[in-house]
Amino acid sequence: MESPILFYGLAFVTLLGALGVLLARHPVYAVLSLVAALFGLSGLFVLLGAFFVAAIQILVYAGAILVLFLFVVMLLDLRPDELSRLRSATWRGAALGLGGLLFWQTARVARTLPIPAGVQPVEGTVVAVGKLLFTTYALPFEAASLLLLVGVIGAVVLAKKKL
Amino acid sequence: MMPPHLWYLAPELWVAGLAALILLVDLACKGKGSREIPLGAAIALLPVAPILLLQVNLGTRTLLGGMYRLDPLALFFKVIFVAAGILVLVMTREFSRTLERAHAEFTALILLALLGMLLAASSASFLMLFVALELITISFYVMTAYLKTDARSLEAGLKYLILGSIASGLFLYGIAWVYGAAGTTSFAGLRQALAGRTTLSPGLALGLLLIVSGITFKAACVPLHLWVPDVYEGAPTPVTAFLSVGSKSAGFVAALRVLHELFLPASNQWAGLIAWLAGLTILYGNLCAIPQKNIKRLMGYSSIGHAGYILIGVAAASSLGSAATSFYLAGYLVSNLTIFLVISAFWQAVGSDEMADYAGLSRRSPFLAAAMFVALLSLAGVPPMVGFFGKFLLLLSAIQEGFLWVAIVGAAAVVISLYYYLLLVATMYADPPKDPTPIPVSLPVRLALYACLAGILGIGIFQEPCVRLSLAAVRSFF
Repeated sequence: MESPILFYGLAFVTLLGALGVLLARHPVYAVLSLVAALFGLSGLFVLLGAFFVAAIQILVYAGAILVLFLFVVMLLDLRPDELSRLRSATWRGAALGLGGLLFWQTARVARTLPIPAGVQPVEGTVVAVGKLLFTTYALPFEAASLLLLVGVIGAVVLAKKKL
Repeated sequence: MMPPHLWYLAPELWVAGLAALILLVDLACKGKGSREIPLGAAIALLPVAPILLLQVNLGTRTLLGGMYRLDPLALFFKVIFVAAGILVLVMTREFSRTLERAHAEFTALILLALLGMLLAASSASFLMLFVALELITISFYVMTAYLKTDARSLEAGLKYLILGSIASGLFLYGIAWVYGAAGTTSFAGLRQALAGRTTLSPGLALGLLLIVSGITFKAACVPLHLWVPDVYEGAPTPVTAFLSVGSKSAGFVAALRVLHELFLPASNQWAGLIAWLAGLTILYGNLCAIPQKNIKRLMGYSSIGHAGYILIGVAAASSLGSAATSFYLAGYLVSNLTIFLVISAFWQAVGSDEMADYAGLSRRSPFLAAAMFVALLSLAGVPPMVGFFGKFLLLLSAIQEGFLWVAIVGAAAVVISLYYYLLLVATMYADPPKDPTPIPVSLPVRLALYACLAGILGIGIFQEPCVRLSLAAVRSFF
């Protein structure tokens, strides 16, 4: 971690974006805040030297997936008053309580967390990631391809009218 | 001559190849004759059994970059999964008559879920375990919502998807914490890092808690049990059967791997929590089952209750507890699938899942009623059925490890479960049938029922070989 200012700046952007997702009144704003959070996150990956993951984060998540989110949100065309049922005081209180508990617990644990020995900073280039994917992680990688096959079959079976 | 690594992976490769073959053949035949695909797949799965038996001689070995491991526990559970897969495919053959479309895809999804289960049993790293569990869950999302015209099926699919995604998120977050605290996701590395540590660092404890909550979703235990009744009721019957046996066993094999193989030295930190969960799950499942009118819903609550019993063995954290967990799952497989075979045959003929319609089943089909009767007694835990001996071992392990109160809760719940199981028996045998036409039972279903009944009585009376196998499966952990 060479520059703490850069780290804190990016962490701030990420957290702000995440808060925006929660607090935005309109779903479209929530999705756009998520884009900001993902950009901050990918900046953090760059600081860690994981360039490939950072690029993927922007291309796949901020690019493709969030555009999909926007499509869905706009197709559904939810009005704020339809969402107000979810914003009642009870739900808010419960969510705040549970979230606060998790946050408090996580913060407490995080403070005591030692950096474990033996973890090497990885080289986050395409070459390094590719090597890992085709050596150590070959089996989960192949299994993930079957996972995608299931996803494709599912999408076709559930969405197509006539088969 | 096959390269040696491929021989270790033979069951997985067989199942994956079969799924791909089915999709291609269906494409080539343009959907003609697709109704016989499930039975063909069931027959094509039979050779996996001798392969698994031959693999016993291979011993324990980790391969493929420490991602995959073949050991006795993996083999024991693979036998359970493959048996469940074959029986569910037999059920699917009947069911697919009512399915209007996409028969081949349905069979392929069952096989891919089965593949996920096989991989979960052999995972030697949290990463592999996660991918395997996702492969199971995502296949089930699709299969649950398969009846697109049935609102209940769609609702069940949506509920399962949303709650399942949350559970996967918890599980993954837990893995991240364990990795952060221990610096590795491989089971071998973690086992080394955790050896001799009786207290967990806060990071590991939080990670373990999150992982366990993810597993309780798969195994259908309190507190992540809310999806069970609706999904069991709405999903197509073969899917419900596979969920209740296969998916649950996958959850428990993950629990055994994580808690007994890795976190055993710190068992004093988690055993109490699991025991509490076991007690709550048993009571919740059995008490909520009493007022049910729909038989699939009833089986949903009863499956929660059984998950609670199995958790007792996990909480006991001894070789007896671990072996009892495996043994009980084997017994649960044959008992529960017998019931689902009957439910599916009944539904084919009558088109109803309501318990009131089971009136007079003994006169309409004495064989189905008798099979159901034996299986219900086994689930309740009446000797000499296999369920009795499984419960006996579980309660014994709890008493040995000082969880007397859980054993008492479990014993009391046997009485509750007898009540609602016998209520169904009374409906089948005592009440007059509304419509006395006999219910036909096709030959494959009949054979499958004979196999299950042979399992219930065979393992129940000659328990020794199965107990020996389940003890051998977990020997290396203790």
